[in-house]
Amino acid sequence: MLAMSTHLSILHTTTKNKIIQMKKTLILFTCFTICFGCTKVDDLLEDPNRATSVTPDLILTNLEIQAFNNVSLSAALASRYLTFTDNIDQYQYYGWQRSNFSDYDNLKQSQKMIEEAKRTNIEVYQILGDFFKAYFTIELTQVFGDIPFTQALSVEDGILTPEYDQQKEIYLKVLDMLKNASIALSSNTEPINGDIIYFGDKLKWRKLINSYSLRVLMSLSNKTDEGSLDIINRFNEIVSNLTEFPVFTSNEDNADLEFVNVQGNRYPLFNSNSLQTAYYLEKSFVERLQTLQDPRLFVFADKKPSAADATNGDFTAYGGLYGSAELSVNAAEAVSGEASRINSRYYSNPVNEPSILMSYAELSFILAESAVRNWTTVNVNDAYEAGITASMEFYGISINSDYLGQDGVKLNEENEIASILTQKHIAMFLNTGWQIFYEQRRTGFPEFNIDGGGILNAGKIPKRWMYPESELVNNNKNLQTAIQRQFSGGDNINGNMWLLQ
Amino acid sequence: MKQILTSLLMLVSMVSFSQGVIKGKVKDSSTGEPLIGVNVLIKSTGNGTVSNIAGDFALEASKGDTLIFSYIGFEKMLLPVENETIIEVALKQDVQQLSEVVVTALGIKKQVKALGYAVQEVEGESLEKAKEPNIINSLSGRVAGLTIQNSTDLFQNPGISLRGETPLLVIDGIPDRTLDIWKINSDDIESVSVLKGATASALYGSVGRSGAIMITTKKAKKGKINVSINNSTMFQPSFIKVPKVQTQYGNGNQGVYAYVDGSGAGTEGGGWIWGPKLDQRDPSTTSGFVETTQYNSPRNPETGELIPIPYISRGKDNIDNFFRNGLIQSNNISVGWGNDVASIRTSISNVYQKGIVPNTDLENFSFNLASSLKPIEKLTVTSNITFNKQYTENFPETGYGPTNYLYNLVLWTGTDVDVRDLRAYWVEGQEGFQQKHFNISYYNNPYFQAYEYLRAYNKNSVFGNTSFVFNITDELSVRGRTGVNIYSLERTYIEPKSYIGYGAKSLGNFTIQNENYFDVNSDIGLKYEKTFNRNFTLNAEAAYVNYFRGSNSNRLATDGLNIPGFNNVSNNAGTSLFGSNREENEAINSFYAFADLEFFNSFYVSLTGRTDKVSTLPKESNTFFYPSASGSLVISNLIDFPKWFTFAKARGSWARVSEGKIGDDPYSFIMAYNKGTTWNGVPSASFGNSLLSSDLQPETSDTWEVGTLMRFFNNRLNVDVAYYEARDYNNLIYSPISETTGYQSILLNGDEYRRKGIEATIGITSIATNHFEWNTSVNLSRNRRYQEAIFGDREQTADLIKKGERTDRIFAEVYQTNSQGQVIFENGFPLRDPYRRYVGNDNPDLTYGITNTFRYKNFQLSFLFDGRIGGLMYSTTNQKMWWGGTEPGTVNQFRDDANNGESTYIGNGVEVTGGEITYDINGNITSDTRTFAPNETRVNYISFMQSTSNNHNSNYHYYEETFIKLRELTLTYNFSEKLLNKTPFNGLSASFVGRNLWLASKIPNVDPDSGVDNLQAPSTRNIGFNINAKF
Repeated sequence: MLAMSTHLSILHTTTKNKIIQMKKTLILFTCFTICFGCTKVDDLLEDPNRATSVTPDLILTNLEIQAFNNVSLSAALASRYLTFTDNIDQYQYYGWQRSNFSDYDNLKQSQKMIEEAKRTNIEVYQILGDFFKAYFTIELTQVFGDIPFTQALSVEDGILTPEYDQQKEIYLKVLDMLKNASIALSSNTEPINGDIIYFGDKLKWRKLINSYSLRVLMSLSNKTDEGSLDIINRFNEIVSNLTEFPVFTSNEDNADLEFVNVQGNRYPLFNSNSLQTAYYLEKSFVERLQTLQDPRLFVFADKKPSAADATNGDFTAYGGLYGSAELSVNAAEAVSGEASRINSRYYSNPVNEPSILMSYAELSFILAESAVRNWTTVNVNDAYEAGITASMEFYGISINSDYLGQDGVKLNEENEIASILTQKHIAMFLNTGWQIFYEQRRTGFPEFNIDGGGILNAGKIPKRWMYPESELVNNNKNLQTAIQRQFSGGDNINGNMWLLQ
Repeated sequence: MKQILTSLLMLVSMVSFSQGVIKGKVKDSSTGEPLIGVNVLIKSTGNGTVSNIAGDFALEASKGDTLIFSYIGFEKMLLPVENETIIEVALKQDVQQLSEVVVTALGIKKQVKALGYAVQEVEGESLEKAKEPNIINSLSGRVAGLTIQNSTDLFQNPGISLRGETPLLVIDGIPDRTLDIWKINSDDIESVSVLKGATASALYGSVGRSGAIMITTKKAKKGKINVSINNSTMFQPSFIKVPKVQTQYGNGNQGVYAYVDGSGAGTEGGGWIWGPKLDQRDPSTTSGFVETTQYNSPRNPETGELIPIPYISRGKDNIDNFFRNGLIQSNNISVGWGNDVASIRTSISNVYQKGIVPNTDLENFSFNLASSLKPIEKLTVTSNITFNKQYTENFPETGYGPTNYLYNLVLWTGTDVDVRDLRAYWVEGQEGFQQKHFNISYYNNPYFQAYEYLRAYNKNSVFGNTSFVFNITDELSVRGRTGVNIYSLERTYIEPKSYIGYGAKSLGNFTIQNENYFDVNSDIGLKYEKTFNRNFTLNAEAAYVNYFRGSNSNRLATDGLNIPGFNNVSNNAGTSLFGSNREENEAINSFYAFADLEFFNSFYVSLTGRTDKVSTLPKESNTFFYPSASGSLVISNLIDFPKWFTFAKARGSWARVSEGKIGDDPYSFIMAYNKGTTWNGVPSASFGNSLLSSDLQPETSDTWEVGTLMRFFNNRLNVDVAYYEARDYNNLIYSPISETTGYQSILLNGDEYRRKGIEATIGITSIATNHFEWNTSVNLSRNRRYQEAIFGDREQTADLIKKGERTDRIFAEVYQTNSQGQVIFENGFPLRDPYRRYVGNDNPDLTYGITNTFRYKNFQLSFLFDGRIGGLMYSTTNQKMWWGGTEPGTVNQFRDDANNGESTYIGNGVEVTGGEITYDINGNITSDTRTFAPNETRVNYISFMQSTSNNHNSNYHYYEETFIKLRELTLTYNFSEKLLNKTPFNGLSASFVGRNLWLASKIPNVDPDSGVDNLQAPSTRNIGFNINAKF
């Protein structure tokens, strides 16, 4: 602008002046105009705001946040831990419909980590990448049944409409991936950076991969007769060779994410308004804990408003709302002060408790179940009690021998699976995502009530979710093939996927 | 109307009965060429004719009559009829006259008859009386094809759609791609010209593909010094639309009041207004009403217990008690002077707007300097610069949520709470830490919000241009122009401790955000203009343009505050501050040329061509060319129409425009990593979820348009009709792909749309006598967009639109229905449909505006009605009112029963008694063996509403947008010259003005004007006055 005014003042002084002067000015003007025209398009073709390549550790951090942040209120409603009184919740009343494919983004991030690791020639992130791929694949197939796997994430090969793989094939490949990852990691010597879970401790990573393999194998407990899967042998391969395939041995090994009191790093339900006003404990869950005199009730729940003045440790000061009861019945009961809210630490403590991908307690219950199923020779009672003890320890409660000795807890031949799963259910309260729902779906334990007046889906607990609407639009033919070969009744929440057959 | 015209015609024929014939020829005084199409009128009768191709005319007149000769671009001439029967008239060219000339692309003025495309002009004068806080709101209803969706919220941009697309804003020929509609004061506007098609703005390049709103600012006129003062004051004394809520039930759930201490203790529930009945008599209490302890109960000084107080509807007038009368005050002073060598105009303006929410306002200040110099005959230099400041210390947050005033004031506050009790908004002894409210886990005290949650905005803009024209010879000239838009914007966000956002009680926060923006548009061109003979004129230009825009912004935020109320980032309570910055640069180098050809003064052809090289596409495809052609034919010059058919022209155009920018981010064509969450100091990254096609081309629109302009009865009736079609292809779309690829979409050239529309502008002068004049102007338009092709092997788009269908089809989550359309219930509640279903279309069938202007002597009365017919809009307000318990329709027996714990409500529909339904993969029913019986399950009404929001009885809250609005009314008195002769004034007028005065609409509780309702502010009625003085 300064240049311009100079030119203008030249004009003012040249009132009388002749054409030559005019021409000079004209040239100056032209130069001025063109000078601003110097900007070259070719100089602006790079983005100053983003990076086109990164080191793999940056992607690892993001993947860990995604995979380990597992606190889900929907899962807590569907798993009969909590109830919701603001409206008819589709999870609580089993009337849900579709789920989504957002874990494919996580699969892509895993793939990107592997690519960047190849680019920078670091093997360890490729191994971890395989673990995350296995993990997110299982997360997806448990929800829907068949999903694209072999042809998924293959845009480089020009595949925009991947075919669906049969669930069995997926499990087979995932189990091999996990085994290979475990073996590869045992001989790897590279450091792991960006690791907010184990801070580079590779032994712990191996423990996780092997423990997780056991979880996947146990989830296939209906499939022991599938020869190609060879579940029992695979299970024993790990359990009988713990030096080569180490597993969790204490809560120290837990695969969990600890929250930090920094914006964006806090416990996801911290400060949640609805959690402190519209969510209440589920009645059958509360009653179970009361029957067992389980001290974990006090770390899960607050006293019901009508008994707010009761002394600490009084089991009768707690109540819940019946998961399948009519909404109005539950709302009225909540209003009358007869239901416990969740313990205030869940919304008032910014770090609360870690979120778990898999815990030592869960592993212990898996081992106990493997013995009950005669897969292994693990000592059932030892494993079972280790699981309960670890769970209590997680909540800072030291185990009381009376607790383990009582009838509702002690294992006997009729109730072994039920007791193990019931304890697993208690141990997983609002901390391990949907895992307990899948366990209940597999075993039927513990029983989730469906006899109340509010129940949807004709009184059935859904077995799966419908495929996302976007697949109808974008991968219609392959989806159609997959649905037809799996479910006679079409894409339906009550369809029985291979895993459950 | 027809009758008036017929009688006028009869009158004309009667008078002309006894007259002699006068013949003559009309010429251009400077060239001597004959002028075709000159209007020749007899003043007393209005009877007249038009000169033919040789400039000849003939009409019957008698001695004593006065003939009026008028012609576009020429000064009007009055000639008394003497004894001559053959006369020769030479008209002088009028450089000032704009009436039949409009401003087109690049600021070039063109004759209306020469235009091959649709342009509609709004004169600045019609905008200066009844003020809106921004210029675009003022255009509502005035231009066919331009739809303005006015927001009811303070300092919010209206929706602007020209033929369904967002147009470019151009000020004095310089495009402003930031579309800042607040920076130009309407008092400085000479005219607004709306270029509707792509043809009109092909010369701006791709940015002009959706048409342009061209603003021409006022320049000084030659002559003595000219001073103008304009003052306008508008009050907002009342609302034309405000949510009407029930006042019979208070806060609570299932009939139980639950806000005993306001802090979530007790059985607070979800913050519902499904509480007990208010105003119930109870003879046992001192007040005579049922009493309960409430959030504002006093405490017994001895026991410390809360004392019950009456549970009554004391908050019935919360809206009136909280909102205040708004005000829009506008002042402008301008001074102008000019002679043959130089001219200068300067003005200073201030617009102050006081918001209806306490402690909100907006200051808008600008000054402007426009000058022109002609140091020698061959050179003209003009310059125009404006400084503008938009400033507020607080303006309201919009959109549904705890940051919205209506959310806290009426939607989620029962009338048991009186907002006046909330004026002292801190909890005693916890000032700065805890707000006082009846519910402090979900809602904010509106006063606390108004005085403590502050959003400041401070934008300083400078924009203007300098240009020169140098005439090398008479035919050849060189011209250049450089224009800039510059601004710096500083915004701060103050969030007090205890402020409630979704899911979070604030620890107090302070955020500061800065942005600097600069763009420059320079062009230099060579122009050739020659009239070869009277039958052929050529006007051609070639120019080079360089465009650059750059911006950088940064943001710094705290993670909690240590000392409450100390709003500085150094007061951060967290371990670190959150900061980010962003830089964007973009350039376009272009070359364009155009030629305007004129034949026989009746046939006009314009050709344009442009090549752009852009920085926003990959190198391989960033240079592209696009042409346009348009033509106009003045039919009335070629065919002898009957006398009443004054003028007719047909026009047509075709244009191609390509655009090489993807969305707003100039770097969209690059695949890269995004920064992820930093976890406890460990950074992370993630890869974006869109793929890029390896071959990205610019997207292109081909538009064709035909139109006609017809004038009847000596311009008493004007009709302009336009029909257009556009084919948008090679669209740069994020085409959705199977998420199983790891990506949600792929950026590529694909999909195709066809846009069609029709526009009509009708002008009628029903009465025109010396004392009384009645003018009517009508604008109508309709716009449609169809899906012509879908990329890839897909039957439908992500929005479920199939090929050939309108793209504004709305699919919503609905309940299942049987073949008779009855809703299916399970356990007394409606069953969700797993597939989204079609519920209607978004776009209106017709957008209209009707202005009537009456002038009687010195009085002028003008009013504008406008509105839309058809189309649906989703209403958050209505849905939440049914859901939350404030909708008056929820006051019924079922609700009382629910409050008493009884389930009595039976939804209107059926229950399944047996059988099964199966769907194919697309949601079509493949078999349905279900049998039904009427739904007989009684449910709790409150639970029912909390779960359904009454969705199925209100079209899932998609409401018809149809409305009519009295947009503007002005009554002006112009003081007569006679009166003013004794005063220093040259002109003086006083007006009573009103805007947004009356509304009739189908949608309840909200003003459909804005086209969206995400819990909008109440719609205010604006009434005031305007004084305009000229010295």
